[in-house]
Amino acid sequence: MADIILKFDNVTFRYDGDETPLPPAVENLSLEIKKGEFVAILGHNGSGKSTVAKLSNGLVIPESGDVYVNGMNTKNENDDFKIKQTVGVVFQNPDNQIVATIVEEDVAFGPENLGVDPAEIRRRVDEALKIVGMYKYRLHEPHKLSGGQKQRVAIAGIIAMQPQCIVFDEPTAMLDPEGRRDVMNAMKRLNKELGITVVFITHYMEEACEAERIIVMDDARLVLDGTPEEIFSDVNYIRSLGLDVPQTCALAQMLKDDGIEISGELLSVDGLVNSLAKILGRG
Amino acid sequence: MLKDITIGQYFPLNSVIHRLDPRVKLLYTFVFIIMIVVANNFVSMLFCVICALSVTLISKIPVKTVVKGLKPILFIIIITSLLQIIYVKTGVPLVSFWKIKITSGGLLEALFMTMRITFLIVMSTMLTYTTSPTSMTNGLDRTFAPLSRLGIDFNIITMIMTIALRFIPTLIDEVDKIISAQKSRGANFESGSIFKRAKMLIPLFVPLLFNATRRAYELAYAMTCRCYNGGKGKTTMNALKFRAGDWTASFLTVAFVAGVIFLNINFGEYNAQFTFNTAV
Repeated sequence: MADIILKFDNVTFRYDGDETPLPPAVENLSLEIKKGEFVAILGHNGSGKSTVAKLSNGLVIPESGDVYVNGMNTKNENDDFKIKQTVGVVFQNPDNQIVATIVEEDVAFGPENLGVDPAEIRRRVDEALKIVGMYKYRLHEPHKLSGGQKQRVAIAGIIAMQPQCIVFDEPTAMLDPEGRRDVMNAMKRLNKELGITVVFITHYMEEACEAERIIVMDDARLVLDGTPEEIFSDVNYIRSLGLDVPQTCALAQMLKDDGIEISGELLSVDGLVNSLAKILGRG
Repeated sequence: MLKDITIGQYFPLNSVIHRLDPRVKLLYTFVFIIMIVVANNFVSMLFCVICALSVTLISKIPVKTVVKGLKPILFIIIITSLLQIIYVKTGVPLVSFWKIKITSGGLLEALFMTMRITFLIVMSTMLTYTTSPTSMTNGLDRTFAPLSRLGIDFNIITMIMTIALRFIPTLIDEVDKIISAQKSRGANFESGSIFKRAKMLIPLFVPLLFNATRRAYELAYAMTCRCYNGGKGKTTMNALKFRAGDWTASFLTVAFVAGVIFLNINFGEYNAQFTFNTAV
């Protein structure tokens, strides 16, 4: 129990509709995320995955069921600050997350709100900016940075609060390939070097494959939960959910459909090459 | 046209003026504005102008940028000058046609007003050029903190100001994008009667307003994530400290005030007739 940082217990949530109640955005969702994990949540638009981000630190409160952060229920308002400090959320549009007009002052916003000592804030801000590789831009104005740089500033703003877990809600969706790679690398560093639990919500298949565990959502429900290999073993099911599959898996599936027995690690290019070599060598 | 908005824009450089405490800059800019209004003769005014120019030079802000910042008030300067020229009848009559008599007094008064307005704006823009909006709001925050006793929560007001300043460039970019999008569908913003052009602004402002509202919601979520609660118990990374430079600035400001008062008394209220005669 102690090593579970985020727990959804049979959670249902719906947004306020005008008159007729809207269908639930998340329905009967139960899931547990362990400390130090790198989890990707995958789903097409409207599958409820962004709502999971908002539920995870009490930005929205479940209609039924409970969300626990380190054992604290997000319904308990007394723990609100502690919960938001434990689980940070980075959103899709970096422009709408940056509050201040100077990079370092924006990064300082969180710790300032928490009433941290000025010298300690300075230390945290410098450290956070170095982690995401934006230290030399600390005195720049955010609107003069590229999308990827802005998103890394937004990440630094969360890191400066020293969270144990960061939920990324499609952080790469609005970025160019270079920005996307930079943000991916920053997320991996947070997980590997700082031991921060990363929950990464995306609809890019290639990015999701870099996680240790993938959760697939469809139509407000959790439909699959497993390692990337397990998830993509059933290519046809993934496709039926309106999701893409990695090219390697697609190729392996086409071979299987033609009656060729192929096994082993089929997700990475190297793994697939090895499996193919085995078949060809035998044939 | 949209890129020309410079008032309220910070110009990040590393000068003595930039490093001053924002409270000091706020207060002394205010003092300068009072003094340039109080200055009642050309000598005092010249003294104010020289001081304002020195501040501009020390701040390292390019003169071109400062001049560009004056563009929006050019209209006001012209109108004021014209009114002075037409209505002031003192001094030596120079030209007269139709019902208008231009006198030396009118011209000098116009020059005087132009100097006053121009350097009043130069100093105010100096404040915004050299002070980052965040440190400005910090300064405002501290200066007006006593107001919280009157039930006015200045923390929230300064937060609103910061966000407004932060989103000006973002929304300008957005307007540019919307204009391009509308133009690509054949919208025409540049020709037609004033009525027609005003009507063309509707398809510009509706999406802008819509997007701004959406941004506001997302920003609110992001701020909540970072434990914003209206500024209660907030600390500041760059705590404001009164440094040597601030003492120097204080000393210079006192000297400046004394200088203007001295020159005001010594040369008396400026008299168009007198000034003109001595000039000639």
